[in-house]
Amino acid sequence: MHAEATLDASLMSGVSSSQALVAAQLVRQATGGDLDAFEELLRRLQRRVYGFAYQHLRDVDEAHDLAQEIFVKLYRNLGRYDPERPFEPWFWKLAANTTINYRRKRVPVPAELSDETVDEAKTPRPHDPVLVQALAQLDPAYRLPILLHYYADLSLEQVGHSLNLSVPAIKSRLHRARAQLRNALAEAEEGSR
Amino acid sequence: MTGDQPLACARVRILLEAYADGYLAEDDPTLASAVRRHLAGCADCRRQHEQAISIPFRLRALSSPRPPESLIHGVMRSITPSRVRDRRAWTLLLPEAILSTFILWYLSGLDGLTSIASGIFGDLLGLAGWGSGAGPLPTVPRVDVVLLVALIALTAIAGYHLSILIRLTPGPLTGRRTARE
Repeated sequence: MHAEATLDASLMSGVSSSQALVAAQLVRQATGGDLDAFEELLRRLQRRVYGFAYQHLRDVDEAHDLAQEIFVKLYRNLGRYDPERPFEPWFWKLAANTTINYRRKRVPVPAELSDETVDEAKTPRPHDPVLVQALAQLDPAYRLPILLHYYADLSLEQVGHSLNLSVPAIKSRLHRARAQLRNALAEAEEGSR
Repeated sequence: MTGDQPLACARVRILLEAYADGYLAEDDPTLASAVRRHLAGCADCRRQHEQAISIPFRLRALSSPRPPESLIHGVMRSITPSRVRDRRAWTLLLPEAILSTFILWYLSGLDGLTSIASGIFGDLLGLAGWGSGAGPLPTVPRVDVVLLVALIALTAIAGYHLSILIRLTPGPLTGRRTARE
């Protein structure tokens, strides 16, 4: 019941409490070995997870691989999830760790946008290219909390839990990251004048 | 006092994010007021302040492509075979146990073991002789044939079981990026 009460709307932002209860049920069934429930859980999570992976890596194939790794890791670790605690922070902690490990073992793919190299069929042109470019230039240690908080819509406490950092440390990182983004945007504006 | 002296642009720009989020006003209202006064008189910093406010909205509005259908199919394919192989690995223990028990019972005692070994050796020599044309096809006692078949079956099942156990060891996912490389 605690899990049902605390499986907050961020799993499916803005969705009614009845749908949040359904999600809690899915998590419980998937933890019990129900593959259909697990697949349904993936369908509810995939948009945010894939989007998060894509914004972090800016490559559709890498985003696919990372999202797949996150979900497989979720399946293999479901036995370790405590149903008395909220699912969302636990899941995004797993996703953040998987993302960090993924970057360590992969050869980095250049994230810079270039008219010569971008394959638009694979990496669609973004609607905010200046921000995307600035985000790509951020250190991954800053990009990760930015995406978890603003893109995946986690609270500061949830981001802190995911990255094993205190809330003041997360605030500091977010502010520094946003300052870097702001400076990059200001430079881009100066350059375009 | 921070409230009296005007702030420099460099100082204000460091504080812009905390100011935009409202934390500065909570933690240090005097400093927040000084930032507000500076922004009222500095167009450049005001522009930076507008950027600072807009960034969270722009981040939330970032668009991503839809996840491909293959994403979930790939995940389910990765996890499902391991469950089937798990069950198969355990159920194969039953025929292995039955065959091993039969063979051990048959071979019980050193005399039994010696006589079987010499019998099998003799059978193999006779077969080799028949194959080279040196002698007739030897008659092999039916029980020895049963033992031979049981040994072959046990070896085959154990080999298959071992291959399943090896494949059960988690390996790297076959991702689209590795396929592309």
